[in-house]
Amino acid sequence: MSNKNPLKKTRSLLSGGKQNIVIIFAAIVLFAIFTLINPGFASSGNLLTMTKSFVPYAILALGVTFVIATGGIDLSIGTVCIGSAVLAGAVCGTGVSADEGTLWLTIPIILATGLVFGLLNGILVAKCKIAPFIATLGTMLVSRGLTSVISEAVRETSSAVKYPPTGWFQKIFTNLNGFPIGIIWVLALTIICMIVMYKTKVGRYILAIGSNEEAARLSGIDVDKYKIIAYAIGGTFAGMAALFYTASNPSLTIAGGNGMELDAIAGVYIGGTSTTGGAASVAGTILGSLILVVIRQGLNIALSSGSVVSATNITYAVTGVIVVGAVMLDVLKKKAAAKVKIDPAPAKEKEAEKVAK
Amino acid sequence: MSEIILQMRDIDKHFSGVHALKSVQFELRAGEVHALMGENGAGKSTLIKVLCGIHQRDGGEIQYFGEPVSFANIAESQKAGISVIHQELNMMNHLTVAQNIYIGREPRKGGIIDDRKMVEDARALFERIGVKIDPTVTLGSLTVGKQQMVEIAKAVSHDCKLLVLDEPTAALTQPEVEELFKIMLEMKEKGIGMIYISHRMDEINRISDRVTVMRDGEYVGTVNTKDVTKDDIVKMMVGRVIMGEQKEASCVPADAPVILEVKNLNAGKEVRNVSFNLRRGEILGFAGLMGAGRTEVARALYGADPKQSGEIILNGKKVTIKKPSQAVECGICYLSEDRKRYGLMLDKSVTENTTIASVDDFITVGLINDSKMREASAETNALLRTKTPSMEQLLKNLSGGNQQKVIIARWLMKNSDIFIFDEPTRGIDVGAKSEIYTLMENLTKQGKSVIMISSELAEVLRMSDRIVVMCEGRKTGELDISEATQENIMKLATMREEN
Repeated sequence: MSNKNPLKKTRSLLSGGKQNIVIIFAAIVLFAIFTLINPGFASSGNLLTMTKSFVPYAILALGVTFVIATGGIDLSIGTVCIGSAVLAGAVCGTGVSADEGTLWLTIPIILATGLVFGLLNGILVAKCKIAPFIATLGTMLVSRGLTSVISEAVRETSSAVKYPPTGWFQKIFTNLNGFPIGIIWVLALTIICMIVMYKTKVGRYILAIGSNEEAARLSGIDVDKYKIIAYAIGGTFAGMAALFYTASNPSLTIAGGNGMELDAIAGVYIGGTSTTGGAASVAGTILGSLILVVIRQGLNIALSSGSVVSATNITYAVTGVIVVGAVMLDVLKKKAAAKVKIDPAPAKEKEAEKVAK
Repeated sequence: MSEIILQMRDIDKHFSGVHALKSVQFELRAGEVHALMGENGAGKSTLIKVLCGIHQRDGGEIQYFGEPVSFANIAESQKAGISVIHQELNMMNHLTVAQNIYIGREPRKGGIIDDRKMVEDARALFERIGVKIDPTVTLGSLTVGKQQMVEIAKAVSHDCKLLVLDEPTAALTQPEVEELFKIMLEMKEKGIGMIYISHRMDEINRISDRVTVMRDGEYVGTVNTKDVTKDDIVKMMVGRVIMGEQKEASCVPADAPVILEVKNLNAGKEVRNVSFNLRRGEILGFAGLMGAGRTEVARALYGADPKQSGEIILNGKKVTIKKPSQAVECGICYLSEDRKRYGLMLDKSVTENTTIASVDDFITVGLINDSKMREASAETNALLRTKTPSMEQLLKNLSGGNQQKVIIARWLMKNSDIFIFDEPTRGIDVGAKSEIYTLMENLTKQGKSVIMISSELAEVLRMSDRIVVMCEGRKTGELDISEATQENIMKLATMREEN
C-alpha cells in the first residue's frame, strides 16, 4: 500500500492526468503540422514571439482557475489586466524613453489595481450575493471605463499609453538577452498555484466550496472569505499578466484587452477544470493555454502569405470548437464514470477473492 | 391467490468487479404489498434499478405479466406501468406542484397548456388521496415531507400497475404515514402491486403481505409477514438481534453542569421564543411533527440561518453565533437531515469529506499533510465501521448509511463538544442505526452533549435523557425521560395555539 502512495500523490498533483497527456500530444502534433506548412514556425524568432503571447494568457488563466474552482467565473480579468497597465502608465507618466516617468512604480500600481478589482468582484459575489457572471461583467465594464477615463484625464489625450519597448522591464519579464524569461515566471507561478490549490487550506476550501457550497458552509468554512480570496487571486494574477503583456506590447490601448479573458477561460476549460467547480487542474490550465497559443500563432503563420481569409477569424472558430469539444469530453467522461457505481458492501467478497488468489 | 405480475429469477449484476446482485429472486402479486428489506448496500436499490431499466442485468430473467421483459431505460418501464418513488426526491423546485405532477403530459387546449385544468386535476388528485397541498405553490416552498406527498400523488396519477416505494416514510410525520397507508390500501384494492422498501419494522408489520430479505447482494429468503416476528426479520437481515426499549431514567449525573443555554430564540416564522438548556453528557431529544420548527431551531442556533433575537450562553458565557464557522469555533456541530444537500461533497473522497472541518489540524508549515489526513480519516472511519473500499473512494459511491457515518466522522475528528443530530438515522438500516445509537451513547460518556432531532418517537424515547417537544415553532413542553410516553409527547406535539 505504502509503495503506491507516491504515484497517487503525483497523480493528485497533476489531477486530470489523462487529459493532460492528450493535450500535450495534440500540441506536439499541431506543432509538427504547422512546421511542415511553414518551417518558419519552428524558428527561434517565432518561438520567442509565441512565448511572449503565451505568458500573459497563461498567467490570466492560472488566476481564473481559482475562481472557476469555486464554481464562479471572472469575465473582468482581460480588461483589468490592460486597464491596470493603462492606469499605471498614465499615472507614472511612462513613455517610449526609459527616462520618462517612474517606470518601477508601475509594478506596484498594476498589481494593486488588479487586487482591488479582484476584491471588488469577490465582495460583490460573496457578500452581495450577485451572480458571478453579472458581477464580473459589471467589473469588466467599470474597469475598462474607469481606468481609461483616469488615463485620459491625467494625460489629456486618448492616444495609446506608451511603455519603453526595451530596457530592464523587458529583461525581467520577456527577453533576458534572447532568453524567453517569461517561461520561467510561468513555471514558477504554476508550481506556486499547484501548491496553493492542492496543498494549502485556501485551495482545499476553494475546492470544497465549488463541490458543495452549503456543505462547506455548514462544515464551518467561512465561505465568503474564501470566495473573496479566490477572486482576489484572479484579480492579482490579471495584474501580474499585465506586466508581461506590457513588456512585449509597449503601446497600450484599453481595447487591446477585449476578449483576453475569453481566451484565458477557454484555456482553463480545455485543461479540464470542472465548469461547475470543485475540481481544478492547474497543470491542465497551462497546457490548455499552450495549445491555444500554438493554434493562434500557427494559423497566423500558415495563413500569413497572401491568404484572403483572416487568421484571427479562423482562430476564433477553431478555439470555439476546441473549448466545446474539451468540455463535451469532460461531460462524456463523467457520464461514463457515473455508470460505474460501486456498492461498498460486497467489498468483503473482493477481499475474499484477493485472499483466494 | 391473485395473479403474479412480476417474477424476477436469478438476477445477477456486476459493477466493475463488484458482484452487486447474486442470483436474486423476487416475486410480486397483484394487490400485494411486498416489503424488500436489507441493510445498506444489501442490493435493494440495485435490484429496483435493474427492474426499471436504469441498470441492465448480467444474468437471470424478468417476467412482467407473464411476458419476459428487459427495459432499456426508465421511460420504457414507466410506459409499462412501473412507477418508482425514490429515496431522494427528484423534482423541480422552481415549478409549481401541479406542473411537477403533470410534467411531460400537461393538459392542453388548442396547443396551449391549460393551466386551470392542470390545477383542478391536481386538486382532485390530492382530494382523492386526502392530502392538503395547494397545487399552485412552488414545490420548493414545501417541506421535504410535503414534497414527498406530491411525488406519491404523481405516481398515483400515473395510473401505474406496479409501484415501488423506496423509503417513502423516511421524511413523513405519523399522520402523513397514516395518509400514505390509506392510499396504499386503496391501491391494493385496485390490484396494484407494491414493492415497499423501508427500515421501519412497525410499518412492515402493518402494511406488507410478504417480506423478502437481502444481505450483501444475496437473496436470503421470502416469508409471509404474519408468520414471522420483527426479530425474525432482523435476524435474517443481520444475523443478530437488536432492539431498544425505552430508556428508563436519565443517565445524566445530577451534578452535571449546564453547558448550553438558549434563551428566547426567535428566527423567521418557524422559531418563536424557544428556550432550553443542555447539560454535559446529556442527550436532549427534540420531538414534534414535521414543520414544528425543530430543524429551524438547530439551524438558527448553529448560525446557518439568521436569528431575530435570543441569547446563546455557552459554559456560562454569552456568545455570538452569526455563521456556522463561529458555531464550529464554539465546539458545536450540526449534522443536517438532508445530507446530500447540506452535508456531503459527493464528488470528493472519503478522506476529504472526513477532514474538511479539521484541515487546520493537518497543516505543517502552511502545507497540508495528505498522508496524515488519510491515516486519521481511516482511523476515525474504522471506529465507525464505515464500509468503503478505500479512503480515496468518492462519497457518491457509498450507500446512505455509510455517507452518514462519514459525516459523523467529520465531527468526531473535529472533537466538537455539542453534537446536533438532525434525523441521524433517516434512511439508515437497522444495523447502522444501532451503531449510531451506540455512538451517541459513547459520546455522552465522554462528556459530550447531544441534541437529537427525530421524527421517530421510538428513537426519541430510546435515546433521550430529556425531551423538548415543539409545535408550530413554539416549545410546548419538556419531559424527563422517566415521565415521557408516546402519548404525552404526541399531546404536546399537537398542542396548537388557540386563537
